[in-house]
Amino acid sequence: MAYVIVPRHERTQPLRIVPGYPQTPWRNPKQPLIRRPPTLSELTGPSEVAKRVKLLGGDIAGHGEAQAIGQLMHLKLRVVDEDGTPVGGTVVEIWQANGAGRYIHPNDDEHAPVDRNFYGAARLLTDERGLLELRTVKPGAYPVPTKDGWWRPPHIHFSIFGKVWLSRLVTQMYFPGEPLNGQDRILNAVPDTAARARLVARLVPPTGDPANALVFEHQIVLRGRKATPSQP
Amino acid sequence: MKKRKAVRRRLIPSGEATIGPFFPPRYVDAGANDLSQLEDRKADGEVIEIAGTVRQEDGTPLDNLVVEIWQADANGIYRHVADPRHREADTKFFGWGRAATDKEGRYAFRTIRPGAPEGRARHVNVMLMFSGLMRILKTTMFFPGEQANEADPVYRAVPKARRKLLVAREEALGRYRFDLKLRGAHETPFFDD
Ligand SMILES: [Fe+2]
Repeated sequence: MAYVIVPRHERTQPLRIVPGYPQTPWRNPKQPLIRRPPTLSELTGPSEVAKRVKLLGGDIAGHGEAQAIGQLMHLKLRVVDEDGTPVGGTVVEIWQANGAGRYIHPNDDEHAPVDRNFYGAARLLTDERGLLELRTVKPGAYPVPTKDGWWRPPHIHFSIFGKVWLSRLVTQMYFPGEPLNGQDRILNAVPDTAARARLVARLVPPTGDPANALVFEHQIVLRGRKATPSQP
Repeated sequence: MKKRKAVRRRLIPSGEATIGPFFPPRYVDAGANDLSQLEDRKADGEVIEIAGTVRQEDGTPLDNLVVEIWQADANGIYRHVADPRHREADTKFFGWGRAATDKEGRYAFRTIRPGAPEGRARHVNVMLMFSGLMRILKTTMFFPGEQANEADPVYRAVPKARRKLLVAREEALGRYRFDLKLRGAHETPFFDD
């Protein structure tokens, strides 16, 4: 099925150079970006990425006696395209800080404690309804090493492939009601208020499964919609 | 009477964000930068290497930047249902790969020389993800000495003076160098789709 990708509304996407985010002025193009006619090359893309990369389980909060420390939570993520059609069978890469705001990464030399029972990363396939489920702990906030006290609010990172090259997405999900959301330079780099609100997960009534977990739902919309058959 | 058009509700694509400094190293799987084989079977075509350095405005090489590529097989066919010829695609060629830069900003892929897809010159799609990149940067690498470049619609979309920045250099037989400069002098042309 042919896919169509049209330019996005600029205000629904983040600024490239972000005030107070010191790396951005060095790394983002000075020259205007170039519009190009879409061809088959950009409107195809890797499918069955799981053939080339190793999947990692969706329970990253520990097992048995070895439980990660923090607020246990369950995330129900739904991935759809611009038609609202579920994007099934696509690889979603997930990574986040532990309950204390520390990543499992050599770049993270902050003083927050490591949690040996926390896995920090999951790589999953969406099912045919575009859904995947993650059992984790709510990530902690963490400071960014800038001079003026910028703290990242709790958030979860996602990298998603989607159906074609131009639907590839890297994004972050935030939590409702967090006082740090209002000051975060990455979340607030998206100018449109409604577009920012769509990056925040929804707290839903707990289901008791898994036990003791808060339940959050979140929807991610990838670029692309089916081509409309031409009108007579 | 007026004709009523069916209204299709369109959802708005989610906002992008930077990959940040903590993308798990295990996500750059061993062998993910080698497209020349799939499940231990050698792809058809000529094996080539594509390598280069990624730098920011002041020339500093960028460490741990994620590079992904997507390309057609040796016959110019994409392994994807939207390609009318996909049933003839090389089953031993996946078309996608991922690499991360090292401390000197270097990345490298082993792949096969793509064929020219219908209406295009042979090329490799490239995307970059990094801390401080709020959106994925997308560009296209072309091959040197190809007459078809001049007729390629993506190549032609680039202002003339900047086109040569999209053409790799052949350093040795089958060894291509494609350096990427994110900003400033010799800035790589990037696309906004
Ligand atoms: Fe983060």
